[in-house]
Amino acid sequence: MLGAALAVARKDLKLALSGAQGLVQTVLLGLLLIFIMSLSREPGEMSPPLAAAAIFWLATAFGQILVFNFLYGLEEAEGARLGLLLSPAPTQSVWLGKAVAGWVLLFCCQLVFAPAAVAFLGQSVAGSVGLGLLVVAAVDWGLCALGSLLGALSVGRSSRESLLTVILFPLLVPALLAGIRLLETVISGRGLEAVGAWTGTVVAFDAVFTAAALILFPFLYTGEE
Amino acid sequence: MIRLCALAAAAVSILAQYAIWFYAPVEETMGEVQKIFYTHMPMAWWSLVSFVVVFVASILYLAKRRDVYARLAGAAAELGVLMSGLALATGMCWAKPIWGVWWTWDPRLTTTLVMWFVYAAYLLLRASDVGGQRKDTVLAVLGIVAFLDVPLVFISARYWRSIHPAVLGSQGGGMEPEMWLAMAANLVAMGLLWLALLAARTKQLAAGAAVTALLRHGASRN
Repeated sequence: MLGAALAVARKDLKLALSGAQGLVQTVLLGLLLIFIMSLSREPGEMSPPLAAAAIFWLATAFGQILVFNFLYGLEEAEGARLGLLLSPAPTQSVWLGKAVAGWVLLFCCQLVFAPAAVAFLGQSVAGSVGLGLLVVAAVDWGLCALGSLLGALSVGRSSRESLLTVILFPLLVPALLAGIRLLETVISGRGLEAVGAWTGTVVAFDAVFTAAALILFPFLYTGEE
Repeated sequence: MIRLCALAAAAVSILAQYAIWFYAPVEETMGEVQKIFYTHMPMAWWSLVSFVVVFVASILYLAKRRDVYARLAGAAAELGVLMSGLALATGMCWAKPIWGVWWTWDPRLTTTLVMWFVYAAYLLLRASDVGGQRKDTVLAVLGIVAFLDVPLVFISARYWRSIHPAVLGSQGGGMEPEMWLAMAANLVAMGLLWLALLAARTKQLAAGAAVTALLRHGASRN
């Protein structure tokens, strides 16, 4: 399963990075959001770290929708979905492959969002950058596990991409709250005592939705239109 | 069964309303406003039960693929959204005079609101044509995922608040026995109404599906 998943992820990453269409749109949308949100502060004033972290995750959440719509949209051309389903690999490997590809793409986008948030929102990072990257990567996995599962909603003839936002965002609330709070800790460099509890929330979210996706994905990703 | 439930709900509701206004004593500090509690709490309760029904029916649908489970999940989700929406609205009416704000960050409030959002999206998806032939399966998956999210939302909302000092304390327990009895009567009344509505809506959805099937059959014959 892992081999097939990696093959799917590699293929998706190649397609995403060669055309760069999906990625550029995501990065632009995120940057726009961060810029617009920066209007909420007076010139010369700093946004509170909590607000900056929230805006960063908001940009990420919107980016995630675009990334997974793009990744699953790829399989709709020329009946590629049927090809994937007919291959002897388990269906879950498609989920895993897309989740991994989405995770890498989202992380690439965040590498642009982070300096943008620092610049537009007047932040200075007091905590450790390594810890920040670890937090972002861990929360991203939860977002991508769920995103890859529900991204499969937008396949078939009658898909409405905008619906995914409404469905996905409320489900992401626990991961986003944890992400916001942990990132605020990293930016401001204080409040470390709460890190343990929030890390537990992130790990629980990642575990629950990875397990749920492994069981439920084959029901969702089928050859039907 | 539906008629029986509805009649029982009407009869118990009359008793429950009597209990609210004439039997239960007026609360000392909150006054008349506290009477909202007797309507608010049963709705919050039965909305949670509705979401459990959606979860169980969704699992059963994926396991057995019988349409009745899909319809049951749909009917329960509708009732759940309605009741949690009303619970939120009545809760706000209660919070304003007592706490001085319409809304505050509380794990229960936040969880209910997030659940309302999730299941409202579920209904939106149900009304749309997303998924085509797979719609019931898609909805069942969403019904399961949504319920798995509930404890996580509750835990994260609690952590979020515990780090910020609580602005408003919880509104202490300590209810009189008469109040408990009035609450129980309302819980039962709302439960019977809930059951009647759930059964009626499931039956109605089945009838709707049968009519659509007949129409399609007729159209294909002509």
